[in-house]
Amino acid sequence: MDVLANLGHGFIVALEPLNLFWCFAGVFLGTVVGVMPGLGPAATIAMLLPLTFKMPPTSALIMLAGIYYGAKYGGSTTAILLNVPGESASVVTCLDGYQMARKGRAGAALGIAAIASFIAGTVGVVALMLVAPPLAKFGLAFSSPEYFALMVLGLAMVVLLAGESLVKALLAMLVGLWIAGMGIDLFSDASRFTFGNSEMLDGVDFVIVAIGVFALSEVFANMEQREEGTMLPVPKGLRNLLPTMAELKACRFAFLNGSVVGFIIGVLPGAGSTIASFISYGLEKAVSKHPEKFGTGVPEGVAAPEGANNSETGGALVPLLTLGIPGSGTTAILLAAFVLWGLKPGPLMIQDNPELFWGLVASMYVGNVMLLVLNLPLIPLFAQILKLPSYLLYPIILGISLVGVYTVSSSLFDCYMLAAFGLLGYLMRRLDYPSAPLILGLVLGDAMERALRQSLMMSQGDLGILVSRPISATMLVLAVLLLIMPLFRKFNSWRVRAIEENG
Amino acid sequence: MTLRTSIIMAACAAALAAGPAWAQFKPTKPVEIVVHTGPGGGADVLARFMTQLIEKENLAPVRFQVNNRDGGGGLRAMAYVAEKKGDTHTIAIFTGNWLTNPLVRAEAKFTLKDMQPVARLVLEPAVVAVKADAPFKTMKDFIEAAKKTPGTLKQSGGSQTSRDNVVRQLLMKSTGANWAYISFPGGGERIAALLGGHVNMMVIEPQEAGEHIKAGNMRVIAQVAEKRLAPYPNVPTLKEAGYEIPNVPQVRGVVMPSGVAPDVVAYYEDLFQRMVKTPTWRKYLEDQQFEDGFQKSVELGKFFDTFTNQMREILKEAGTPVVR
Repeated sequence: MDVLANLGHGFIVALEPLNLFWCFAGVFLGTVVGVMPGLGPAATIAMLLPLTFKMPPTSALIMLAGIYYGAKYGGSTTAILLNVPGESASVVTCLDGYQMARKGRAGAALGIAAIASFIAGTVGVVALMLVAPPLAKFGLAFSSPEYFALMVLGLAMVVLLAGESLVKALLAMLVGLWIAGMGIDLFSDASRFTFGNSEMLDGVDFVIVAIGVFALSEVFANMEQREEGTMLPVPKGLRNLLPTMAELKACRFAFLNGSVVGFIIGVLPGAGSTIASFISYGLEKAVSKHPEKFGTGVPEGVAAPEGANNSETGGALVPLLTLGIPGSGTTAILLAAFVLWGLKPGPLMIQDNPELFWGLVASMYVGNVMLLVLNLPLIPLFAQILKLPSYLLYPIILGISLVGVYTVSSSLFDCYMLAAFGLLGYLMRRLDYPSAPLILGLVLGDAMERALRQSLMMSQGDLGILVSRPISATMLVLAVLLLIMPLFRKFNSWRVRAIEENG
Repeated sequence: MTLRTSIIMAACAAALAAGPAWAQFKPTKPVEIVVHTGPGGGADVLARFMTQLIEKENLAPVRFQVNNRDGGGGLRAMAYVAEKKGDTHTIAIFTGNWLTNPLVRAEAKFTLKDMQPVARLVLEPAVVAVKADAPFKTMKDFIEAAKKTPGTLKQSGGSQTSRDNVVRQLLMKSTGANWAYISFPGGGERIAALLGGHVNMMVIEPQEAGEHIKAGNMRVIAQVAEKRLAPYPNVPTLKEAGYEIPNVPQVRGVVMPSGVAPDVVAYYEDLFQRMVKTPTWRKYLEDQQFEDGFQKSVELGKFFDTFTNQMREILKEAGTPVVR
């Protein structure tokens, strides 16, 4: 049992008092930056990087990785309580998490998020430990045509995120795709929809749109209600603050789904945790017995995306540690850190530094337990914020949103954009357009366009490349099935009605 | 304290501040290092390493702090520095982007001409790599294959104005060969595309390529450098391989706002000269496989001019619209 022996050594490293301390420092800091919108793990790790030069690389890596996966735990808190995504991957958690809070199940939602994070985070580490090298090869088989198909599959989920009207959902999605196209085009270097502003050259930051459309529009919508003291219900007693057995049972499949989907998408260098959480949410809704309840506050709708974005961390470490290929902003910084510590990231790193890899893996088991223990007692405390009367709560949401957006790049222009997207979100709400498809289009649009154009450059303009490769063909077929599913349902209900009328 | 003594003291203070010839400038409060990337970007990592080094070696009486002004493809940081005219406590890390972006972006309000050159620090060489099981053993093999089937071979790289593409344009022009260029936003994706066999060639930083070569995944067929790099004694530079194209270095260094007194420039110039002499810096260059590109302020100003003209020509020939 090679793996067990190695893991044993890993635990010896991870359980050294000093490493335990750094692990705790990392996950604690991670939770804090996760809770704060705007400040993400990538920026935090980069800012702490100089401090780690004096530390042994293993301790430093244990701490920085702790920040990385710890932030995923914290991100759900503001999403559930305030409808403000604490970091980009928590945007999907807003959909059902905030609705649960509105129904007085804030504590339960936070608890489910923490438990899903723990389960999926741990599954992610197990998978990282057992299947890292072969999976990294699988990741390399993915190229532009496969990414395009994956993004199409993601976009097809719009039918699952649509409310009453599919047409309105499609319109919202198209606006999202349009916003995703703003900024410098990578292939031609042309500026698109910048209106001569240099601030627009990098396009519109996803966080600004998400906070505007979710949080700010919530504030605007509540300004309309003039009656005093519309407090959200907060149940008393610890028992009512934790998820019930029935809620946990409803999440059984979501825990598994989130863990697996998150890990697989994490391994792909060109996807990311936001995409992972969207796809896992869509899958959960597609197989659910009561898909119509999604978006009204079902626990599975919290468990699946929260699980996926935690398991994604384990997946994202696969190409980083086995090939030296970073798949996201945060792993790119970890790669820079390896180089500065004098390690040589690449295909030989695990072989050359076994104590580093196994120490990290073991520390991630420890860290996930720490995070669960750290987060569960905080739930009653966090849930108290909902006891605030609305004339305090909504200004607080407004303040947190503004500060969050300003921290992303300390630019006032971004704050004006936030206000604009808040208004857009408010209008969409009044006119009954769903906001999730807009976010979906925005998240996937950029990557999808890129993948399509890269594919066509590879094939010299032949669209056949998209269907001639097995992985991409399979995903495209799935996407088509997903798209025609509502038609099929409609036909079926029409048929049932016809039979009933006849009989 | 009487009124008169305080007037005298104020006068003395004013005289000191105005700076008689012998009073050298010294920073009196933390110095801000502006970078155009977010935390973790190449310029940011370099700046953070420099702040540590300056502190550790006690090179300056004050702290240096990194200020990330990311966004706008680097233009936001440039505008920030240019608008701080006369500020003696702000410096910035420039890269090749600072030279090329104003050439192709109508949105740019400033160029490096609106800033004060301080010192050039590093030149980053590159190598041309193919997958280890590719049929190309030399640069010539690749070029010949590209000539036989124009447009079918593929290179992965960054944006149109990046060095990767400039090298390709120069090589295609000098040989008449033709191959496709596929842009990927992240360095990781470029490598993944090569290792997965989806593209045939890439221009890569030697330090990044090192481990893949050791593991037998990649082969280096040429070097984009003035002279052969220590880890690749047997691989010819592009010039040695017979491709007479101008060397295109990736460059990083320090500039500051314009309108500062000569002794301020001299102070920072001297500071970085002392910095690049430290063993820690030498080791950093070696680890990263960078070339020492140290140049003082005046030479750097000349370098800006020649580099800008060279890039303008290259971009024009590549068909990229040049706006200034």
